Parts: sequence; C-alpha cells; structure tokens
Amino acid sequence: MREQPIHWETEGTSRVPFAVYTDEDRHKKELERFFYKSHWSYVGLEAEIPNPGDFKRTVVGERSVIMTRATDGQIHVVENVCAHRGMQFCRERHGNKKEFVCPYHQWSYTLKGDLQGVPFRRGVRQDGKVNGGMPADFDPKDHGLTALKVATRGGVVFASFDHSVESLEDFMGPTILRYFDRLFNGRKLVVLGYNRQCIPGNWKLMQENIKDPYHPGLLHTWFVTFGLWRADNKSELRMDAHHRHAAMISTRGSAGQATGQASQVTQVSSFKESMQLNDPSFLDIVPEAWWQMDDKMPTAVMMTLFPSVIFQQQVNSVSTRHIQPDGHGAFDFVWTHFGFEDDTHEMHERRLRQANLFGPAGFVSADDGEVIEFSQQAFETKPEHRMLVELGGRDVGETDHMVTETLIRGMYEYWRKVMEA
Amino acid sequence: MSNWIDVAAEADLFEGAGIAVAPEGQDIALFSVEGEVFAINNLCSHGNAKLCDGFVEGHHVECPFHQAQFSLRDGSVACGPATEPAKTWPVKIEGGRVLLQLD
Repeated sequence: MREQPIHWETEGTSRVPFAVYTDEDRHKKELERFFYKSHWSYVGLEAEIPNPGDFKRTVVGERSVIMTRATDGQIHVVENVCAHRGMQFCRERHGNKKEFVCPYHQWSYTLKGDLQGVPFRRGVRQDGKVNGGMPADFDPKDHGLTALKVATRGGVVFASFDHSVESLEDFMGPTILRYFDRLFNGRKLVVLGYNRQCIPGNWKLMQENIKDPYHPGLLHTWFVTFGLWRADNKSELRMDAHHRHAAMISTRGSAGQATGQASQVTQVSSFKESMQLNDPSFLDIVPEAWWQMDDKMPTAVMMTLFPSVIFQQQVNSVSTRHIQPDGHGAFDFVWTHFGFEDDTHEMHERRLRQANLFGPAGFVSADDGEVIEFSQQAFETKPEHRMLVELGGRDVGETDHMVTETLIRGMYEYWRKVMEA
Repeated sequence: MSNWIDVAAEADLFEGAGIAVAPEGQDIALFSVEGEVFAINNLCSHGNAKLCDGFVEGHHVECPFHQAQFSLRDGSVACGPATEPAKTWPVKIEGGRVLLQLD
C-alpha cells in the first residue's frame, strides 16, 4: 500500500487527518518511535507474578515479552524470541516455571533470560569422532534473551527496549506522577480478574477516548441515566509537560456524602427519570480515604499514559487497561481489574460489581469499542479527510472544566513532534 | 543383599565417552575414567537427554542438551540447569565383565 501523505489543514492539531490512522508504514514508524524507543510501556502488576518462577506473557507494542519473577524475587522482562531461530517459544499467558525452554531445539533460558543450555553444543560423537556442534568461540553469555529495562512503582511494572530511556518518574512528569501515586500508594494490589477484547480500530483512538471528556455524558447514556456523569461535575484536565500523558479528574457533587443508598446516588437529574436499576447495588458507592487529594475528593480519575496504558478510577472500580496494537487498524485491549489487599470483603464485592460497567460488555465501555470501530471504518474510506477537535478552542492547555478536546490536541502536538522529527 | 548383574564387557568401554546399558529394563550409562567404571542414570534429571551422549570432564559428565554437569561418583549436580541429582549404582569388575549392583 502506498503511504498516504499527511496534510495538516491548520497550524496546530485541531484538525487531525484521517491518514494518521490508516497507513501501515506509518504505524510501524509509530511502534518504533513510541513503543520501542524513549518510552516506558506498561507490562503488568507485581501482584500477577507474586512467587519466584511466576511469569506473564504480554506485549510491548507488537513485540511479545514475558514478565518473570526470578528465584531471587527480582522482576525481569525478556523478549519472547528465542536467540536461536527467533521463535516465540512461550505460549502460555501465565504460569510458573523453573526455566524457559524453546520447543523447537530445546534451547533453555533462566528466568532472567540467560542462555543456560544448547543441545549438542559440543557436537555428537559417532564412531570415535565428534560431529558438528557450535563453534568453539560460541559463548552462551552472548546469546541470552533480549532483556528489557524494567521499572516498578507502587506495584506496577513498566518495561522499555530502550535502556537509555529516562527514569519512569521523569517519563511521567510530576503532575501525572501525583495522580499515579494517589492510586498506587504502596498498598499491596490484588488482581480481581481480566477482560480482553479486540477492537477493530487504530490504537490511538483508545488513548483519545480517555482524553475526551466530551463524550461520556453524551455517548454513555448509562452514566447519565444513573447519575454517574454530568457535564457540570467539578473537573480538571491535567497534562505532563510534553502533553502526551493526561489525567481527567472529576468530582461528583454529592460524592462525599454518598452512603450507598440508591436514592442518594441517583438524585441527579437524568433524561430518563423513570428508569431504575433492578439491582441498585451496581451504584453502591462508598468513598475511600485514598481518594483525597489536597482539599478535593475526586470520584473519577482517568489517566492516560502514552502510549500503552490507561489507569482507571471510576468511583470504587479500579483497573489498568493495556493497549496492545495489532497493525494500524486494530488493537487488543486488556483490562486488569484490581483491588487492594486491605479491602474489606464488602469493598472487594463492591469493586467486582462496579467492574460490570467496564470491559468489552460493560454497561459503559461496550459503547467505546463500537464507536472506535465505526470511526476506523470511515477513516479507511477517505484517508485524505480530517476530523475536527476544536471544542474548547484550538490550542493546548490544562483546564478546570470538561468542555474541551484540549487533551487530544495535546497528544497530537506531541505525536507531530516525534513523528515529524 | 548383593544382586550383582553383568551388564557389559570391560572392553566395551572407552575413556571419555559413555555407553548405555539396560539391565532389568533400566536405562543406565556407563563411563570409564582413569581405569575406574561408573554407572549413572542415563536420563538427565533436567531435560530429555541421554547422558551417555554427554562429554566427560574429569569425574563429571556434561549433559549434551543443556550442559548440566553431574558427578559420576555420586550423581550430584555440579552445574545447572539441573537441580535434581542423578541416580548412581555401585560397580565392580570381575573377569573382564562389568557388574552393577541394582537394588
């Protein structure tokens, strides 16, 4: 396919060309520049691999990697590519092993990725002479699995193929780091479960979806009907200095007083007053002490960490959402719902119930998968066209309201800086 | 008890390499080192490899697959990736024959 030229209609990024979503070569350039160089990618939670030998197979960009815990308890992330013939040897999503062995020729590796054994390295004896084997100067130390740089914070594990990448803290920047530390404040995490879905749309659309506070009150009628979202919620939009990461922070008016009674959480006006939940326990919201930040008590903080992950707090439901590109026109979206070790039984049940809002069939999130698919369908038919993201102006900056698409403009400002360099 | 079983002729053995024998259905590798004969379980305790195909270094055999090393004297692991020792059997030579004491 011939690369479509990208034409930015205006000076800034308020008119995003469809072509940023439709070209395979450009997609490969994005993988190279955002996922494989200079950036940290989310790989998982420490709680997913609590014991030595535990591992989880996941991806950085489109490359298969394995997050492991070695015998000394250290976390390693290695590429799932055998040093011999390049095979993706690990097929299980999770497990516990003493070592990794590629089934093709049984090359074996430690949990850290060091090559420990090569069959017939010294050849095979036959009729008194030794045939074949690896060259005498073959040194297993030179042929381990590709090891990624690893950073952990608050129980969350990040990795980078780029060993000269800046620190994770510098990568996030102080503004985003504060919100990250609010959610991952050192309490031990507990994995509640996973949702996985394939969304037939460009991976950036998922980042944009969580940088777009315009849609929740309009697309997600469930939110509005049952009072979880209003355009006049007290809100803030924050970004890192590069405008690549963001946090959408909102505080529902009555949050501090909610006691779990359906009547109280649904007291805001909705456009379908008559609608009631058969099971109001989906909205049994109980404020938690860790929500507090300065003098505020945000009920929802949605963080986008560019390029790979979204961290969600929607009232009592907390999750990570891992964006795993699969070509320019699709991505896998993996949700890890979690809680905290010190949660009461009631809070554990509450988080599980509220998780029903999210994931591929979530009362709310099912909508996002569809709109992303339908957007991609249109992009493919006319890549020379562009979209309009001018709500709240054409510039980029933090705001104290939600009626703006500034975070999307900010992300494309960064995108252009990196892609056009 | 002394259940000594004739498994091979001493002349079948040679320094630096092993041979496989199969008394009573067991898979055992014999090695001759400096005139002394050792018997060790032929299957590596790590991967699916035959130690009789391995390389002998001093009194150790190196597995041909993943380079784990076992002591020929007592089967202990001298080098990973193996973690489990390999079984060994007492050996004696009588009249040019190699005898193993199976249990």
